[in-house]
Amino acid sequence: MTKLQAKNIVKHFDHNGNSVVALDGVNLNVEEGDFICIVGPSGCGKSTFLNIVAGLETPDSGEILLNGKSISTPGPDRTMVFQEGALFPWLKVIDNVEFGLKMAGIPKDERRQISQRYLDMMQLTKFADSYTYQLSTGMKQRVAIARALAMDPEILLMDEPFAALDSQTRDLLLVELQLIWERTKKTIIFVTHNILESVILGNRVVVFKNRPSKIKKEIAIDYRRPRLMEDENLQKYYHQIVEELKNEVIAQIKDENQ
Amino acid sequence: MSEKITSEKKSQNLHDIANAALFLAVFVGIWQIVFMLGIWPTISMPSPAMVASSFAKIISNLSLPEGIVVTLGRLVAAFAVSIALGTLIGLAMIRFKGFGKTLNSFSAGLLSFPSIAWVPFSILLIGFNDFGIMFVVIMSSIFSVMISTYSSIRNIPPIYMDAAKNMGAKGFALFRYVTLPAATPSLIIGLRQAWSFAWHAVIGAEILMSVVGLGHILSVGRDFLDMGEVIASMITIFAIGLVVDRFLLYKLDDRIRRKWGLERHH
Repeated sequence: MTKLQAKNIVKHFDHNGNSVVALDGVNLNVEEGDFICIVGPSGCGKSTFLNIVAGLETPDSGEILLNGKSISTPGPDRTMVFQEGALFPWLKVIDNVEFGLKMAGIPKDERRQISQRYLDMMQLTKFADSYTYQLSTGMKQRVAIARALAMDPEILLMDEPFAALDSQTRDLLLVELQLIWERTKKTIIFVTHNILESVILGNRVVVFKNRPSKIKKEIAIDYRRPRLMEDENLQKYYHQIVEELKNEVIAQIKDENQ
Repeated sequence: MSEKITSEKKSQNLHDIANAALFLAVFVGIWQIVFMLGIWPTISMPSPAMVASSFAKIISNLSLPEGIVVTLGRLVAAFAVSIALGTLIGLAMIRFKGFGKTLNSFSAGLLSFPSIAWVPFSILLIGFNDFGIMFVVIMSSIFSVMISTYSSIRNIPPIYMDAAKNMGAKGFALFRYVTLPAATPSLIIGLRQAWSFAWHAVIGAEILMSVVGLGHILSVGRDFLDMGEVIASMITIFAIGLVVDRFLLYKLDDRIRRKWGLERHH
């Protein structure tokens, strides 16, 4: 069943009075329970696309359909994990995880139950009463994932959530995220500039191209899970995507030097 | 481990108090020496002991306690009005962008406007009474509250708002649970500044407009050539300013900084 459909999404930005094309007709279908990774050179509009799906930005034209219904505003059915976590420093970890549930008017006892469950899942139980500054970057991202999952969204949106992590922590979370995905059966759209990350996580890797920004290719990754960073068999997928992106990056550097 | 931190903190506090006491002792000592050198006549430069006896006098004839009560009463009432109105205008500046931008472009002039310059205006508009003084205090502190409300909210990192909206927060809940707490550390800095403007203003206005109050004691001291009384009043003003900031506003600020994990900047 199609969970999410992006139809011909176009978005322009105003840059010093010039109109810059951020997205030039993006079409994407995401099936229920799918794990989609979007990769592309920086500035290719992949994060803009995710923001549009989240309803945080509006497209100039085109449409996003969730379960067949058009959406244009942010909503707890599409929760986002941001690159820098975006946790609230004035709240304890547990209150961060419960924030969306509180906004949804869920009573306190029920909120506690739900948040405990996701804190357990992310191995954060001990830190429930900590403030966010007391956590490492990796733990903050765990809290952000727990917070997004606690809302039980239709789709989980992840915008380069591991970009700021050290490599050991990231490798660990790459495995954890696969296990969580298998356990929760969530539909996930994961944006990254890291190709190996996309190969490890995605059922399908969507390669964005630059100028005009649209989807260049979709590559299915049909391989057993959990996939590990050091698995040699992933190399062929990796090289396939590198090939796709190589020309893009060269074109972009030329562009920027002009 | 937390015990160790507490005892470390205690000894740090003791150390700070000892330093402050030493500083005061040196200050009073130098004062005494200058007095004994006899450069100025006693009427212009009384000794520490003479000021102490002036203190005793204005305390026992109740003019100092009464002055403190009256001054703080005016200040607190006027400051409350400043906070209420200033916050409302600040929020209106956020809500109506053009209005906010326009008013904000005057902020440098409004913030640096000397409080004393409101006194003649207030005398002619309202008169020599409590409300005249309160008007000066309000005008001197309200812009600080207003501009700090506006800029504190505008400077909230957009990612907090995005995250909150993404989790379904909107309308008043968004304001109450995200905008307000996110702006709080910066709002408190604005509040401390507004408080210091209000404190300047109330003393200045009382010197020129009042028949009771701490500022009035200063001007009586001047009129009767009573330097002891002037200095005693100045010391009181200094002490109140210190106590309010140190034990109220700073504490509040410090608590929030700790909670947010910002205290390591000190």
